[in-house]
Amino acid sequence: MAAIRLEKLTKEFPGGVVAVSEVDLTMPDGEFIALLGPSGCGKTTTMNMIAGLERPTAGEIWFDERPMSRVPVGDRNVGFVFQNYAIFTHMTVRENLSFGLRVRRPRPERSQIDERVARVAEVVGVSGMLDRKAGRLSVNDMQKVALGRSMIVEPAIFLLDEPFSNLDAAFRAYMRAELKRIQHEIGQTMVYVTHDQVEAMAMADRIAVMNLGVLQQFGSPLDIYDRPANTFVAGFVGSTRINILPAERLPVRAPAGRDPGTLSLAIRPEYTRIVPPDSPEATIGAKVNLVEPLGAKDVVHMSWEGHDVRTVGTPGARPRIGELVGLAFDPSRILFFDEATGTAVN
Amino acid sequence: MASIRLERVTKRFGAVTALDDVSVEIHDGEFFAVLGPPGAGKTTLLRTIVGLETPDAGDVYLGGERITDVFPGDRNIAIMFQNLALYPDKTVFGNLAFPLRQAKAPKAEIRRRVEETARTLHIEPLLGRKPAKLSGGERQRVALGRALVREPRALLLDEPLSALDALLRLEMRAELKRLQRDLGRTLVYVTHDQVEAMSMPDRVAVLREGVVQQVDTPEAVYHRPANRFVATVIGSPPMNFLPATVEASNGRLRARHASFAVEAAAGAAPARPLADGAPCFVGVRPEDVRIAETGIPATVYATEPLGGETVVDLALGERVIKALAPPTLSLRPDAAVRIELDPARVHLFDGAGDIVLSAAGERGVFTVRPA
Repeated sequence: MAAIRLEKLTKEFPGGVVAVSEVDLTMPDGEFIALLGPSGCGKTTTMNMIAGLERPTAGEIWFDERPMSRVPVGDRNVGFVFQNYAIFTHMTVRENLSFGLRVRRPRPERSQIDERVARVAEVVGVSGMLDRKAGRLSVNDMQKVALGRSMIVEPAIFLLDEPFSNLDAAFRAYMRAELKRIQHEIGQTMVYVTHDQVEAMAMADRIAVMNLGVLQQFGSPLDIYDRPANTFVAGFVGSTRINILPAERLPVRAPAGRDPGTLSLAIRPEYTRIVPPDSPEATIGAKVNLVEPLGAKDVVHMSWEGHDVRTVGTPGARPRIGELVGLAFDPSRILFFDEATGTAVN
Repeated sequence: MASIRLERVTKRFGAVTALDDVSVEIHDGEFFAVLGPPGAGKTTLLRTIVGLETPDAGDVYLGGERITDVFPGDRNIAIMFQNLALYPDKTVFGNLAFPLRQAKAPKAEIRRRVEETARTLHIEPLLGRKPAKLSGGERQRVALGRALVREPRALLLDEPLSALDALLRLEMRAELKRLQRDLGRTLVYVTHDQVEAMSMPDRVAVLREGVVQQVDTPEAVYHRPANRFVATVIGSPPMNFLPATVEASNGRLRARHASFAVEAAAGAAPARPLADGAPCFVGVRPEDVRIAETGIPATVYATEPLGGETVVDLALGERVIKALAPPTLSLRPDAAVRIELDPARVHLFDGAGDIVLSAAGERGVFTVRPA
C-alpha cells in the first residue's frame, strides 16, 4: 500500500501537445481516487505515468517517499484493469485468477495459491464459476475475473481505466457498489479513471477533476458538487446541468466588495423550486418550455430573459408548456463565479 | 404526416430472428421511441419501416396503406442514422438543398423550403458554412434539417444523440422534443438510453431479442412494467428485485421474504395465478425504499453520494438493494438500519419474471410488514 504524490507532473508529446500540465496532487494511502474529465483532458495520460507506461517530461511521481519516474513498470507493484478485459479465454476462471501467483519466483505453495484464489473469487463474486472456461462467461463476469486477476498479486496501488464503460447500465450501477465495497475491504489505494461523473461521485473518496491537461479541483465528491472551484467543474458534475446566470440582473446580494456586473450566479436545479409567479419567494419569473418526466423525478426546462433555466422536482402537479411560473432559489445554495475567468468567488 | 403500422412482422437473418412477430401501431403525429439493448432488433425495425429491409412475414402500413412492397424512395419516409454523413464540400445550404435538387424541385421552391427548415431548426446563420466549421450540435441539426426538408410523412431517427457528449445530449433532448411538437410530424426514435426513452416520447416500445415486451407511455412503463426486463431497462438505478415465496393463505396473495412479507388486498386482481410455495420476486425502485426509524432490518453495504441525492446500498439477506436518500444523510458501511418499502410502489413478479401485480401509485393494493 502506498500514498501517491504527483509533483508538477507534466507530459508533453512530440509536436508540442501538452497532455498533462504541472499537476500537483497527493492521493492518501488507502483512498479511492477518481480522475474525472472529458476525453482529452489528460486523465489517462496521468494514469499511464503513475503506472509507468508513459514517462513524464517534467515533474515527479512519488509512491510514499520513493521517486518513481525512472522505475520500470514491472517494478512499481501496480495492478491494472482496463476497459478491455485482459483475461485468458482458454483458461478456467481459477487458472486466470491464479496466474499472477503461479508465474512468481519463488512460486508460492499450492495451498497458499488455492486459499488466495478462493478469497479473491469471493470478493469479486465469481466463486460459483471457478472451473468454467473464462471465454464462456458473460462480459460482466469476465470483467470481474479481470479485476480478481489484478487483485490477487496484492499490488501496492490499483489503477482502473474506465473498466466498466463497455458494460450495460444495470451492471455498471451494480458494480459501483461492489467496487466501493471491495476497496473498503482490501484498503488499497485505488485510482479510477472515468469520464462519467456519476461513477466518480458514487465511488471515490476524492475526485481530481481535469480539463485540457490541467487539474481543476481535487476534493471529496460533495466538495466538488457543492463548492465547485470554477464553472467548468460546476458544469461537468451533476446529472442535470447547473443554472448559470448573470448576477447583476437577479435580486440577490453579491459577495461583499464585488460588482455584480462582473459575476455569474450559479445554482443547481435541485436547489430551485417552482412557486406561483407572484409569490414573494420567487427569485425569477420564467416561462416553461418543456417538462421531461424521468420517472423518479421531473426536469422542467424554462427560459428567463433569454437564458435556459432548469429545475428538478418530484413528479406531481406539472406546469403547462408556455405557463409563466416563479422559480425560488435556495439562498444558502447560491454560488458566484467571476464572469471573465470562471473562478469561484466567495 | 401519417400513422405507421407493423402487423405481425418477422425478419430473419440466417439463424437470427431480428424481429419476431412484431405488431406495433404508431399514431399520426406521435413521438414514438423504441428502446432496447444492442441486438434487440431496433435498427431492423426502422429499416423495415423505411423499406431497406423486406419482412419475411407480415406487413407495413403507412397512413393505412400497405407499403410492404413499395420501393423505399417512394415511401417518403426520412431516416437519419447515428453517423450523420453530411457532404463535407457542400455548405449547410447545399446539404439541405441536396434532396430537393435530387428531386428536381424548382429553384425558388428549393430556396423557400431550405430557409423555412433552417428557421425551424435555428440554423439560419449557418447556411453559408461548411460542416467542418460546425459544432457537434450544429451538425446534428443540419442532418435533421436534411431529413426534414422534403417534408417526409414520417421521420425515423437511429440513436441520433449517442455520438454527442453528455452536456450536448442533454440540450439536444430538450431541443428534439420541442421540434417534434412544433412540427407535429410522426417521429420514430430508436435508442438504448432509458433517459431518452423516458423523457422525450409520447409512447415507447421496449424490445428484447426481436420481441416487443411492452408498448405504453413512458410513465406507464415505469410504474406498471410488464416484466423484470422492462423494469430493469427503464429507471436508473434499476429496480430492485427480492426473491420471495408465494403463500396463498386464506385466499389472499402473499409473498414472503426472510425479512418481510408483502400481502395483496382482497380485491386485488393479479394478472396471472401464483401457486402456493412458488418462487416470486418483489420489485421496488430505489426511490421507493426509505431509510426509516422502524421497519425491515438491513445493513449498509456502501454509500454513493451523487450530489443531489445519495444512493445507499443495503444488504438484505443475500441481496444488495439500492435506496435513494437525501444527500444530507450520512451512513457508515456495516451500520444497521431499518427500511420501509413504499406499499403504493411495490410490484410482484412471478418466478419467470412476468408481472403479477403492480401497486402503480395506489394505496391499499399491498401491505408490507417486517417479518
